[in-house]
Amino acid sequence: MSTQTAHGRHALPSTVSVSNKEAGHNGAMTGFSTMIWFILRRNWLRLSIWALVLASMIPIVFDSQQQAFPTQASRDAYAQVANTPAVAAMTGLPYAAGSLGGILVIKIWMTLAVSLAFAVTFLITRNGRAEEETGRTELLRSRALGRHAYSAANYFVSAALCVVTGALISLLCLAVRLPSTGSWVMGASIAGTGLAFIGLAALCGQVASTSRGANTLTVALIGLFYFVRAAADLEAEGMSPSPLSWFSPIGWAQNMRAFGENNLWPLLALLGLGVVGCIFALRLESSRDMGAGMLPERRGPTRATRFTASALGLPLRLQRASLISWFIGLVVSSLFFGSVAQSMSSLLDPSNPFARNFVGGGATMLDGVLGIFVLFNALLACAFAIQSLVTARSEEESGRLEQQLAGALSRRTWLMTHLIIAVLGSGVMLLLGGYLIGVASQGAGEPGLLAGACFSYWPAVLLMLALQLLAFGYLPRSSTVIVWGVYGLSVLASMFGGLFSLSENVIRATPFGAVPRVPAEDFNWSPLLVLLLISLALGTVGLMRFNRRDVLTD
Amino acid sequence: MATTNSAIEVSGLKKNYGHAVALNGLDLRVETGEVAGFLGPNGAGKSTTIRILLGLLKADGGVARMLGRDPWKDAVSLHRDVAYVPGEVNLWPNLTGGQAISILSKLHGSFDTRRQNELLERFELDPTKKARSYSKGNRQKVALVAALSSNAELLLLDEPTSGLDPLMEQVFTSCIREEAAQGRSVLLSSHIFSEVEKLCDTVTIIRDGQTVEAGALAELRHLQRTQISVEIAANAGELSAITGIEDLEVAGTSAKFSVDQDQLPSVLSALATYAPRNLVSAPPSLEELFLRHYSDNSGRPVGVRAGEQS
Repeated sequence: MSTQTAHGRHALPSTVSVSNKEAGHNGAMTGFSTMIWFILRRNWLRLSIWALVLASMIPIVFDSQQQAFPTQASRDAYAQVANTPAVAAMTGLPYAAGSLGGILVIKIWMTLAVSLAFAVTFLITRNGRAEEETGRTELLRSRALGRHAYSAANYFVSAALCVVTGALISLLCLAVRLPSTGSWVMGASIAGTGLAFIGLAALCGQVASTSRGANTLTVALIGLFYFVRAAADLEAEGMSPSPLSWFSPIGWAQNMRAFGENNLWPLLALLGLGVVGCIFALRLESSRDMGAGMLPERRGPTRATRFTASALGLPLRLQRASLISWFIGLVVSSLFFGSVAQSMSSLLDPSNPFARNFVGGGATMLDGVLGIFVLFNALLACAFAIQSLVTARSEEESGRLEQQLAGALSRRTWLMTHLIIAVLGSGVMLLLGGYLIGVASQGAGEPGLLAGACFSYWPAVLLMLALQLLAFGYLPRSSTVIVWGVYGLSVLASMFGGLFSLSENVIRATPFGAVPRVPAEDFNWSPLLVLLLISLALGTVGLMRFNRRDVLTD
Repeated sequence: MATTNSAIEVSGLKKNYGHAVALNGLDLRVETGEVAGFLGPNGAGKSTTIRILLGLLKADGGVARMLGRDPWKDAVSLHRDVAYVPGEVNLWPNLTGGQAISILSKLHGSFDTRRQNELLERFELDPTKKARSYSKGNRQKVALVAALSSNAELLLLDEPTSGLDPLMEQVFTSCIREEAAQGRSVLLSSHIFSEVEKLCDTVTIIRDGQTVEAGALAELRHLQRTQISVEIAANAGELSAITGIEDLEVAGTSAKFSVDQDQLPSVLSALATYAPRNLVSAPPSLEELFLRHYSDNSGRPVGVRAGEQS
């Protein structure tokens, strides 16, 4: 009995056979090992990237923190001020801020744990509900494949990713000579978070009837549990965890306290949630039809509103969810930046060349720090603008543009509506972000001034959009890759240019480097005017080219 | 609006994709009020022609006029009078089918809401479902409802029934007949011969980006041979003596052969002398007409040139 897949590229060796020994209860697990190989075959690159990128954060962040806090005295000073509400809410209680291990936990633990939760969410949906949605699972299950083999293999591979990532993290912690118990607990707590969310993702994958629904549901749970533990850490007294933290699996993992108390027993709860979730998910799989979910599919309106059917309304409606999340992200990040500006500038050692370079040449450390937050905000607004304009290309690529242009809609009007959303949206984001940084800084920065400082990056954002239009006009098929590539290089040059020893003139020649970094630097009109003129010229050429070229579907 | 008799006039149309030649001097004519069939295998250039007529692609040479106007320069105003159904309909996955119909109709300009509701019912389409969950046939119905409820003078249909079941194909056929009865012009690109034979007044057959046959369906049939099967009292081998009989196949007393249209009277009177017991004559089908243009000398169907783009 051999199982072969329909996919030529992913074809398995026909010698892979399923023995009767591994056929579980009622043969429901027949083909389990075959499916593990199949999933690895399709996902090995994705899995390796997740594991390596997450683990590599350890040495990178450790290195930067060692430079920022080189002496025990500087760490002790940090420990005195580390417990701000912002830190508690974002990354948890800084229970061991006086040690390098503890600082590493503050800086990176939450990011790694939540990222791993996202990783298993997407993997479980990709190899579960999405496969079922496209009908490929049906094809596989029509062969001699047990009912649960594919799902169980999916959970197993995701669990393996968590274990491997956790082990790599522990080993890298040991490699930079952090205490060994803490290193193992660090890896175990992050792996445990991932394992717990495998159980939840597995359940959501059974309950929802679309891959999009499954992802949305699990991501909503990650968000909910993140906020539960944020609330718990905010209401905690001193460094002892609040009882509320036991209502979130992320809280369980936090309470393992790597490089602090090093508790191992919450790991059992995390493992338990994962295992129970998976078992329950397989139960649900037995009781439902192939392709069906537990939740009914939502119905929608019979016709579009006047607004949705208008030229500007349609792209706005299509980007609605994305617009809302960008603005929520902006508000959260601006409030966070503002609230930490004062404490961050007092922590950074002005004589430290790393810190000096990073924040630029401000009169005071505070101005330097505010300047870099303004730049962060500008880069965020630019990412939004690019992503928003990319929807124009995806409309063209999918063939939906053809149907719109086959109506009485001109190419210019169509492209302009997409451009307006990106241009105005980024302008509002810049003003709002700057203003909120000022408000949250409690007097460290003036809201009006910071709003203006952020807004002076608008011409740089417009230049990126103009480049995007140019690429869209001349090289539509690669325009998305080109613009994100240019954006990535600009981010590197403007934020880390000094660290990479780029000369001042080179940095000044990049879009974001050209804008004066107020309040660290004095305001100056001329670079902004130059950026505006170049944008106008490039954007016009791109628009004109689009009016003349073929509409290219994929 | 310029006055003209032709809904579509295309002559010598050329289009290249890099080195690949998609259209190589294509001619196409659709008179006002006519239902015109547009036949050709995959990659022959049907969709390219329709996209040029919609101003989505720019022609590299030749002349194309639609409703007397330039499809590239007058695209927007022209599209108020033209409705289009693509072969592969892609919709916004998170909007409902009903929302997509309103959007497409509104972009078109004028449309008939009553007709829209009637079409939704005839095509049995649930407009409250998200487009993500639609099958290919249901996505096609969305585009058909939007196009057929518009007040367009000309319908451009690019393999519009490729996802529909036989029942829905019948609904489509009757809808097109209603459109034609109202004096609208239709260009129907299709692979389905029976559909073209049922609906179309004229046919244009293209191959490798060139027109190989065009004219009224009835006239084209006259140019072709009639197939005759006959059973006679004597050995059918004797029939080979009659001039005008070709491709003779003999099996005992029965025979099959083909006759050119102009030889038919003389062949029939010669045949009468053999006292046929049974005679069946079949006019050439559109399928035979089509396959003749796509077969090499040995009668095998040939594909499209290698490297051709669709």
